[in-house]
Amino acid sequence: MNKLPDTHILLEKLAPFLHEGRGGTGVGREGIRLLSEETGMSERVVMTELLSRNLWPERFSRCRGVFSAGALARLLSTRILVAGCGGLGGHAAALLARMGAGGLVLCDPDSFEESNLNRQLFCTEKAIGRPKAEVCREGVLSIASYMDVEAHVTALDENTLPGFLKNVDFVMDCLDSVARKKMLEEQAKKAGVPCVQGSVARNEGLTLFDSSFALPFSKVYPEEVSGNTEGAAMNTHVLTVAGTAALMVSLLMRKLCMGRNDGGKLFHLDLSVPELETLSFSL
Amino acid sequence: MSILIKLSTTLRDMVPGYEPETGLSVSLKDGESSITAGELASRIGIPLEEIKIVMINSRQSELASVVADGDRVAYFPAVGGG
Repeated sequence: MNKLPDTHILLEKLAPFLHEGRGGTGVGREGIRLLSEETGMSERVVMTELLSRNLWPERFSRCRGVFSAGALARLLSTRILVAGCGGLGGHAAALLARMGAGGLVLCDPDSFEESNLNRQLFCTEKAIGRPKAEVCREGVLSIASYMDVEAHVTALDENTLPGFLKNVDFVMDCLDSVARKKMLEEQAKKAGVPCVQGSVARNEGLTLFDSSFALPFSKVYPEEVSGNTEGAAMNTHVLTVAGTAALMVSLLMRKLCMGRNDGGKLFHLDLSVPELETLSFSL
Repeated sequence: MSILIKLSTTLRDMVPGYEPETGLSVSLKDGESSITAGELASRIGIPLEEIKIVMINSRQSELASVVADGDRVAYFPAVGGG
């Protein structure tokens, strides 16, 4: 059997696993696991099918009224490349797992260092010396074990990116230099994969997302940028990184759930004021 | 009237006493009717090569763009951390 029974039979079967809470009934994960075992469908597909009948998995029950069941089902079917698993990437991956993303491809060639403890979500004292991508994968699966998560301890460049971009719906640009971000943007355009971009320094974060492949990052930085874009000039802390990663994921959600295109907008988060301003640039 | 200047990240280090909340107010000199964004940056001591993004009243502009009295001008260096 590879489909769920009729809803009234389904509800009888799920009765021991139903949670009554704010605004409705949620299906507990033990019930979802049971359906997965009985039908041979993955837990992710079971949840998507339940949502199509407006039956919400309990883990997402507090999202009711915030997102539609259809939007959540779309997110569960979405696979996202996270380019860089340090500051922005670690936070973005965790946020995507909590929001309901179905699959992640995590890429980072580096291992955690002590100086990452101030801002990188999955960097713990125990994780120092371990590859960021692998630790990030473990962390994401500890939030949402049904997810399809790949970890690659690999640098992303013109040679490796085409392969990673083949089977994803979006890419989150969490790389750490303007030059690499421009390169990723161009590769994503070639592959037809929309790219959400974020960058941080000090108390400030910049995000942008244009799904029409107009190379927005290159429009913001039309000249070649070299020199002081790495190292101490880009020092920052967890508040900037977490806030900017949340903005990146919210831009993705706006596209996925509401079809919004934020092309030509540059969002500037400044926690030293604090303020969020929307700036305009020409595509 | 004056021009409100907002500086981002490392550019703030170049103007002693810069306050992010208030920014910096600069008045045009007597007899001066206009100024470019580049001239304005030089007047407060920001090396032009450090400026990668210029926003006048929240719209992307250039160092050669003319700034008018009452405008808000924001300067950004390259921000590329991840």
